[in-house]
Amino acid sequence: MQENYLAKWLNGELSGEELAEFKKSEAYASYQKLKDVSATLKAPEFDVDQALEQLKEERIGNAPKVIALNPFKKFLRVAAVIAVLLAGSYFYVSTLDESVIAQLAERSEVILPDNSEIILNAGSRVSFSEKNWNEKRNVSLKGEAFFKVAKGKRFTVSTNQGTVAVLGTQFNVENREGFFEVTCYEGLVSVTYNNTETKLPAGTSFLVINGKIMDTTKPNTAQPSWVNNESSFYSIPLEYVFSELERQYDIEVNSQNVDKSLLFTGTFSNTDLNMALKSISTPSHINYKLEGDNVLFYAEKAPQ
Amino acid sequence: MNNVCEEQVFSSIFKANSKTVFNYIYYKFGNEEKSHDAVQEAFVKLWENCSKVTPEKAKSYLYTVANNLYLNVIKAEKVRLKYAEPTYEHSNESPEFLLEEKEYKEKLDKALNDLPENQRTTFLLNRIDGKKYAEIAEMEGVSIKAIEKRMHLALKTLREQIDGI
Repeated sequence: MQENYLAKWLNGELSGEELAEFKKSEAYASYQKLKDVSATLKAPEFDVDQALEQLKEERIGNAPKVIALNPFKKFLRVAAVIAVLLAGSYFYVSTLDESVIAQLAERSEVILPDNSEIILNAGSRVSFSEKNWNEKRNVSLKGEAFFKVAKGKRFTVSTNQGTVAVLGTQFNVENREGFFEVTCYEGLVSVTYNNTETKLPAGTSFLVINGKIMDTTKPNTAQPSWVNNESSFYSIPLEYVFSELERQYDIEVNSQNVDKSLLFTGTFSNTDLNMALKSISTPSHINYKLEGDNVLFYAEKAPQ
Repeated sequence: MNNVCEEQVFSSIFKANSKTVFNYIYYKFGNEEKSHDAVQEAFVKLWENCSKVTPEKAKSYLYTVANNLYLNVIKAEKVRLKYAEPTYEHSNESPEFLLEEKEYKEKLDKALNDLPENQRTTFLLNRIDGKKYAEIAEMEGVSIKAIEKRMHLALKTLREQIDGI
């Protein structure tokens, strides 16, 4: 018999001669039985799909695994970061400037910490720092506003065109595209435009249109007319009159064959659009057409 | 592309080999729970080293890892293997025969538990999983001849135990 003949037999590798000899042996029946019975043995159940699922969910998805040894420490770290962020953002927010906006066809009133008043005309915005107000009375203005400044320290209005500084007075600042006007109604106002300072006593104005300083007339009222729901103009190009009309009524103004550099002197109502349109068109000898939110001004006769 | 890091390749390796890895560890140490763990551990290791192990090498890599994991841990524990009982419910065999079969099976179970681990593993991988000697040799990292030797000794010892020689 060759070496390891039992293994060979089980694997069917014995030669006919060897097999015959093995079959004759006493032990053959026992081995045959062992072979038969062991073929019916079974291993424990093993669910391949479930094991794969488990592997993917528990192990592979989050490998490499990092275990926090002290979850409370981690919580403290997170809490500290949140606290710093909160404190930081509170500090940041509290130093942010306060802003007040008057939308188109709207007016807003602002009372400053020292009881100074700002009345915002349509389509305007002011911002100021409430926290530092007592140290620095400064507001930034976009658009037009009327200021009634309480007596006190220097009060400045910063615009992208010029700076207005006062001590305590009433004045109007209009800062629009290509148009900058300051009118003093009371006290003394200092206007800095292109690094040149101009002192405006009560009842005078300072006007810049497209970078050109214009002559002005004395205002004959104690307040700008818009505060009383009227827009007044004295020798102002129609272009700016149209813009003001757009702001006051939140409409779109277009023109056809109209010379927009034509100077307009007059007043239009800020509450009655039809009246306002007549007030503009009649003295300028132009016609208008109102359709919804659109107004078209056009010349009576096409230019020859 | 045939990379173990690809999920499809990895899954197919898992499906083809996990059951045998499970059985392999079970035959060695007779602990079902730890065999489940061994499967998980071995495949996690394979996944972590998927770029270094080619699909061809994956199989023997798995057995090596599974084996090493529990080699020292479970060695001391007493092996208590259980095998699902073949059912005779619908058989026409006589009660005497069935009783005899049952007794034989109990003897076989005991004899298997008493076998040296490497003989038992070889024997069961062949008898239950139908693994060829060459495959078992690859899993165990030994020669085919060594496996034949283990098989021969396993049969001899089992027969002696069962027949009470």
